[in-house]
Amino acid sequence: MRNKIRGLRTARNLAQGQLADAMGVSRQTINSIENERYIPSLPLALALARYFGTTVEEIFDDQRA
Amino acid sequence: MTSERSRTITQSKWFLPASSLVLGAAILVAGLIGRQPVVGVSGLIIMTAFGLFVLLAGSRSETVRGLRGDGRDERFAMIDLRATALSGLTVIIALIVAWLVAIARGQSGSPYDWLCAIGGLAYLIALGLLRWRG
Repeated sequence: MRNKIRGLRTARNLAQGQLADAMGVSRQTINSIENERYIPSLPLALALARYFGTTVEEIFDDQRA
Repeated sequence: MTSERSRTITQSKWFLPASSLVLGAAILVAGLIGRQPVVGVSGLIIMTAFGLFVLLAGSRSETVRGLRGDGRDERFAMIDLRATALSGLTVIIALIVAWLVAIARGQSGSPYDWLCAIGGLAYLIALGLLRWRG
């Protein structure tokens, strides 16, 4: 599933570790999400959306390109 | 004990090393009772070394922290679940193969037969309970 986490994070000058700390997950988990190797749970997706002040649909795209 | 408290205990970095030490002590006692002191002492040394390894290597490795429990987030919990399922499947397949080999050799098939039965029964009970819980 495609996502915009990396773009949103870098736009705020956040390191993966800082975002990971804010979300209560490991840095490797943020890295895996950004590289689309791991699809986060609904609670984590909602937390990410709230953190970036947007919606889950804005961040995650399940449409295959 | 609440699930929150048990989670706190199992997610402590001391839980796995302490468990290894307890298991090592149990192997030592079993070895001494069975008059196999070399097996007992070897078991204690191996389990103590493993406990020390996971305690010390945790600062360098996410895998070790996840194994220990203190670095376990939702992604690692999923990895752990899949690894547990895979290892369980491996054991079941090994038991079935060992049982077939024992039967083919004209042996009774014990203890592989009842170990297979326990595995199958545990799976069915877990499946039913988890489905019931939704």
